Amino acid sequence: MKPARRYLAVHLPFWEAEHLRQSHPDLPADTPLALWARQGARRLLVAVDQAAAAAGLEPGQALADAEALLPDLQVLPATPETSAAGLRELALWAQRFTPLSAPLPPDGLLLDITGCDHLFGGEATLLTKTLADLAALGLTAQGAVASAAASAMALARVQRDAPIIAAGSEEKAVAPLPLGLALRLPGGMVEDLARLGLRSIGDALRQPRAPLARRFGAPLLNALDAAAGHRAPPITPIAAPPDLSVTRALPEPILTAEAIAALLDRLLAALCARLARAGLGARRLSLTAWRVDGTEQRLVIGTGAPNRDAGHLARLFAEPLASLAPELGFERFTLHALATDPMGAEGQGALPMGAAPRPDGVLAQLLDRLGQRLRLARPAPMPSHWPERQWRAAPPHEAAIATPPGWGSRTAPVLLRRRPEAVQVTTFAEGAPAAMHWRGRVYPLTRAEGPLRLEAEWWHGGTLPPARDYHRVQLASGERLWLCHAGGRWVVQGDLP
Amino acid sequence: MVVPDPDPPRNAALARLRAELAGLTTRTPAGSAGAPIPIFADNSLIGAGLVRGALHEVCAASPGSGVAFAAILLARCGGQVLWIATEQESNLVWPPGLIPFGLAPERLILARAARWPEALWAMEEALRCPALGGAVLMAGAGQGLDLTATRRLHLAAEAGGVFGLLLRPDGIAGASAARTRWHIAPLSSTDAPRWRLSLLRQRGGAPAGPWNIAFEAATGSLRLEAGGG
Repeated sequence: MKPARRYLAVHLPFWEAEHLRQSHPDLPADTPLALWARQGARRLLVAVDQAAAAAGLEPGQALADAEALLPDLQVLPATPETSAAGLRELALWAQRFTPLSAPLPPDGLLLDITGCDHLFGGEATLLTKTLADLAALGLTAQGAVASAAASAMALARVQRDAPIIAAGSEEKAVAPLPLGLALRLPGGMVEDLARLGLRSIGDALRQPRAPLARRFGAPLLNALDAAAGHRAPPITPIAAPPDLSVTRALPEPILTAEAIAALLDRLLAALCARLARAGLGARRLSLTAWRVDGTEQRLVIGTGAPNRDAGHLARLFAEPLASLAPELGFERFTLHALATDPMGAEGQGALPMGAAPRPDGVLAQLLDRLGQRLRLARPAPMPSHWPERQWRAAPPHEAAIATPPGWGSRTAPVLLRRRPEAVQVTTFAEGAPAAMHWRGRVYPLTRAEGPLRLEAEWWHGGTLPPARDYHRVQLASGERLWLCHAGGRWVVQGDLP
Repeated sequence: MVVPDPDPPRNAALARLRAELAGLTTRTPAGSAGAPIPIFADNSLIGAGLVRGALHEVCAASPGSGVAFAAILLARCGGQVLWIATEQESNLVWPPGLIPFGLAPERLILARAARWPEALWAMEEALRCPALGGAVLMAGAGQGLDLTATRRLHLAAEAGGVFGLLLRPDGIAGASAARTRWHIAPLSSTDAPRWRLSLLRQRGGAPAGPWNIAFEAATGSLRLEAGGG
């Protein structure tokens, strides 16, 4: 039989208020805080912080009553989107403990710590450390560990002593918990259950199921079964776990560039070996470095083609590595392969030593290296006569797009101004340019061809730019320019050969 | 007075060492296997043409003429071509306009660097990469390109066997490690573009030109005009 999964649930009883306080450092720390939302015509409290709760305020109270009870109460409108986003961020933060962490709105976190706890010295130490780290962030947290996610969550909501429940004894552990608080049942249902004498989870579990289901519906039974560990609804981790990752925790923090580079080489070697076994090549890698002070820094590199050559990947990391700020040192590194593609054994990573790599591979590696610092593009022809839309920048690793016959012409410029340069042009009576006033000088034009009229692409709809008249002109020096006359303005738009 | 050789074996050793040294200093570029890039159909004017695996410079009196000449040379070097420019460059190279000169967009990869040192770094990396046919770097007027920088580029081109081209503005002076330096200026024309081309300097050779040349799109060749030399 598979060993049971282990879940660490965290309940943050004052999450919304404490999260808001984090983003408003100007709020006085010692005054109670409450958040309100409009419900119909009434303004009700939706969240309070610990001080306000201690003074007897609770969600659901009218804002006016609360202000009468506590005159120095700070009140702010609730921002449910912000706190939901904050909870997702917190779930990402919790990936320092396990790659499988999920936010449980509105105020919980669920971590799947199966097989991770030994890294931190056991479940009890991990739970204590999690709660302590959250407290360091200014968050009040209660936690529990159990083999069923819902059991752990129910325990975390009620018990403040961080219980750890052995696999199989969830039902016994949750039995004394009050139904309303532990299962988050709606208020009306809790009252109805209380009228039947059912106050704890154990009371409800002992009842015949059919009448209970008829009276309260399937959701109650599902919630009860989940809390007792009989059902295991799947949890959705915040980000799909990366295809492959390697982590090294260090006994001593490291801070020199050489040590970090050496560690990265080891991580890359381990990751590339796994990629090779899986027949994969990395397309995107991230290196996360956890600093001693609990903050993290993340570097991401991308490759144009799947790759598992540790040396090549290390070169791609060389540049971003310099941006790491170790301060007091890093204590943990994780290398994730965020995106991978299948890669056959014939790839350069599997070549025997000394064999010359294919030129394709060498070019791809060059483009990878350059792509970390420069913008690369391959020109891809577009079906348009409008100069700015004649080609688009395609990713350099894509196969080149064949040029359709007739695309590009002898009359096209070889250089186009990034920003057209305004000029004044005097014209002959019939409209041909005679001289131009350009960069503070007057240049007579020895030759002018044109106009070539381009109408805007009316089939795209929308407001159309004015039609353009293009003239190919030649200065006395022989220099040839591409002039554009549109809407009464003359501009130099490009250089002719 | 001729002194008779007192120690023949020692001199033989010296000769061997000298030969070895000569072999070290005149390195054979990796790309020397490829034929030089011809400029004119008749090669008698400037030898066999521009060697690959080396750095060459083109100084242009007008931006358009320089780009066109670079496109002609890169079209002839074959393979993929990396065209490097900085973001400060006010002109963008226009792929449709290069087709008449034989450089198809399929062979072109455009690179834009935020700053000049990155452009220089990219050029060096590109020249070291034998998978490329050629690389061109557009160097603006104020950009630092001293003897050391050009020597680095030239050595990289030798190592990779890549045809390297620097597009520089007119009127630059100063030392450069490039194998050749060309100057091109536009001439007035009625139809096909015409230029005045001269070879300002070449390593181990004399300056040459100027020649009046015209580009014939039909044959893709540079035609030397009579009486232009």
